[in-house]
Amino acid sequence: MSARNFHLPNLNRRNLLQAASASAAAAVMPRILDIPAAYAQAGSTLVIAAPATPQSLDCNFDVSLGTFEAIAALYDGLLGYEKIPDPQAPDARREDIAFHADKPGGVNMVGKLAESWELDPSGKRVVFKLRQGVMSNWGNELTAEDVRWTWNRAFELGALGAFYTAVCGLKRPEDVKVEDKYVVSFNVDEPNPLLLKIETNLYTPVYDSVKCKAEGGTDDPWARKFIENNSAGFGPYQLQQLVRGQQAVFQARPDYYGGKPAIDTVVFKEVPTSASRVQLLQGGAVDIAQYLQPLEIISLKNVPSVAVETVPASFMIWIELNAKIEPFDNVDVRRAMNYAFPQQEVIKAIYQDLASPLNGCMPNIYPGFTDEAFHYEHNLDKAKELLEKAGHGSGFKSTLAYNAGDPVQEPIAIIYQSALKKIGIELELKKVPAGSFYNFVTDRKQPMIFYVDSPWCPDPGYSLTLYFDSKSYVNYSNYANADVDKLLAEMAATADEAARIEKAKAAQKIIVDEAPWTFVAYPNYTMARKADLKGWTYYTSNNIRFQDFSR
Amino acid sequence: MTRQPQGAGALQVSADREAGNAPASGWSFFLAVLRTRPQFALGYGIVVLIVLLAIFAPLIAPFDPRQANPAAFLQKPGWPYLMGTDATGLDVFSRVIYAPRIDLTIALAGTVVSALAGSILGAIAGYYETKRGLGRMVAGFIMRSSDVVQAFPVFVFAIAVVAVLGQSLQSIVLAVAFVNAPIYLRLMRSQVLSVRRLRYVEAAYIAGTSDLGILARHVIPNAMAPVLAQLSVNIGWSILLTAGLSFIGAGVEAPTPEWGSMIAMGYQNIITGHWWPSIFPGLALALTIFGFSLVGSSVEVLADPVRRGRLAGEIRSKRVRKTAATARA
Repeated sequence: MSARNFHLPNLNRRNLLQAASASAAAAVMPRILDIPAAYAQAGSTLVIAAPATPQSLDCNFDVSLGTFEAIAALYDGLLGYEKIPDPQAPDARREDIAFHADKPGGVNMVGKLAESWELDPSGKRVVFKLRQGVMSNWGNELTAEDVRWTWNRAFELGALGAFYTAVCGLKRPEDVKVEDKYVVSFNVDEPNPLLLKIETNLYTPVYDSVKCKAEGGTDDPWARKFIENNSAGFGPYQLQQLVRGQQAVFQARPDYYGGKPAIDTVVFKEVPTSASRVQLLQGGAVDIAQYLQPLEIISLKNVPSVAVETVPASFMIWIELNAKIEPFDNVDVRRAMNYAFPQQEVIKAIYQDLASPLNGCMPNIYPGFTDEAFHYEHNLDKAKELLEKAGHGSGFKSTLAYNAGDPVQEPIAIIYQSALKKIGIELELKKVPAGSFYNFVTDRKQPMIFYVDSPWCPDPGYSLTLYFDSKSYVNYSNYANADVDKLLAEMAATADEAARIEKAKAAQKIIVDEAPWTFVAYPNYTMARKADLKGWTYYTSNNIRFQDFSR
Repeated sequence: MTRQPQGAGALQVSADREAGNAPASGWSFFLAVLRTRPQFALGYGIVVLIVLLAIFAPLIAPFDPRQANPAAFLQKPGWPYLMGTDATGLDVFSRVIYAPRIDLTIALAGTVVSALAGSILGAIAGYYETKRGLGRMVAGFIMRSSDVVQAFPVFVFAIAVVAVLGQSLQSIVLAVAFVNAPIYLRLMRSQVLSVRRLRYVEAAYIAGTSDLGILARHVIPNAMAPVLAQLSVNIGWSILLTAGLSFIGAGVEAPTPEWGSMIAMGYQNIITGHWWPSIFPGLALALTIFGFSLVGSSVEVLADPVRRGRLAGEIRSKRVRKTAATARA
């Protein structure tokens, strides 16, 4: 640039201050967050601002936010759902989780690590033929032994693995059998409707058993230490760096069996506050900002460089009404608590209409869902009447615990408290630190506590068993109904999808009527990204998969 | 035995004499000080206003500060919501004027407890520090414990105290008291170290007065002046600490109207243009701390005999100049 061409703009104090502030913010923000400028600009690099980096990379033990994304990048499973255009977001796609009577198991699936599969009509056996020549990130070829070793690991280590083996009816390690170098079978004693579906689950990936055995040796035969900090899988990316609390960097694998992903490098940055994530996306320092607040999402809709898609999801938020603690052991009190909850106002004020009312006890996007039994419109007179019937006409005192780390729970609790005050119920609000909140939930000692979850398998039997089977670990409301247990057991023991859906609807009617929860909302899943980033797909596991994206 | 002339009072008389003025005291002197130092008047005005708001909040507040109205969420400042509403429809104005009830109560209680505990422990430490035997060991123990408490960042220590004791008003009061106590302890100790060598203390000792009697009747009353001056400065700081604890979620429980918790509830909305749920309580908090700081400054001046004497001289000179000007006119 020549001196002649260089001229100063009309500088006054205001201009100078504005320019200085903008320059300082632009220069400092990525530097504070340690985002290399080249990353933020490079076409083949994706920078994601996330609330947390992965804690552990072992999906048998970790269900934290960042871990979901890491597992999806580093590993692949046997099957996946076919993808279809999202009816509400033209630029997005989603899994086809609808019931298809003409498909094996009633599901529209595609092979991932499995090239083909055959479901026995009895519903007790499925045989997978694996793709040949699929290499792990350590250069070992995928074989049936990898699948067997992976499920044996789940049996031996318990934890989440034990849950998955139980859900699909596997009772012993020998139930997963190597038939050939590239053929593996799953064999169960009773017909199981989830034998195929469970193979689509994000948390049932296949490990490279050769590498794991070599790393673990005799001291650690299931390679726990190795898997916690490294990966040994057949996924599209490999781990380049993991600095917990700062960032994880993933590198695309040129030898991935599905072809090298369009994005070479993914930088997954920890940015704890959602307001900062919004600012980084607005300023162009990141490509995706995850988990934003409803008002922030609304504000981004007017930013030209940003695209926002919000779609119905499998998320649910509710309040557990502990059926073993007075007065919630009384079904009329639980019903009254629902009549007193100003659900529509919460959806509007707190979620800015980026959620829909929770009008059932499983995700409303899943097959088999029904809202026929839901009758809890906001009606304080009805609530009062039910309280009088239950012998609590003068009200009572109770405590509602909420997660300090979830910004929507406190305002919902305040609104609920105000509503309950009108019918004589005095609600004390107990803020629980995010780090110990899950312990509060699993202790099941709170009379009322918030819970947010999404059942990852789009199946009514899976979803309902999770929260309402009296023996389920995740039944945090201590709900128990013999008829519901019977219906759920019957659903688990038949592969007849039509019959299962009928039973699911019958169970939902009982559960919703007996109100073990205060039904709050189905929050949408929102993708806030740079406008030039394409390919986003919504998954029922509510996480993104880097390999979907391109520019 | 009759009470001895108090050290601070004796110093004050002497300072006034040095300044060549009659002893400065009483309401007329106080009013003259406020006229000469208008910032002090501003401070007292703010503090009185905040206290009055706290007392008469139920009469002034147009809405129940705890009753959410989700149908009126995030209303802009205007009518009938003078300072707007927050995300749950709580009226910000009503909550801002109710908040001092909690903030002032915690700050006053915490400061008084810390002043009492710190002063007593400081007096014991100062009195026994130069003696022999068990008393000296106790004094050493008190001072080293104080060192330990002061070695931690104050805010972190307050969070730890609340975490251990559980989240409640009493816990916050104790946290405020605990982190403030070493200030009073050191102030009192340094005063006692000088007072205990004065002749009237020695006379009391020779007359057979017990250690407790000497401390209670002769030492502590004559060493209290700096402690009293520190009180008002400390109240403002305690309000800030209380609000800080609430801001990070270790303070009062929602939806108790309290400035720190209000800022915490609303600050996430600033980026989306909804500034009022957090800015108004922030301003109220800043104003209150400013007021207490000014009051603290005035107490520092008035409690210091030398500075008070100079101020009295300044007032006198002004009066003389004014009288002369009037006469000339």
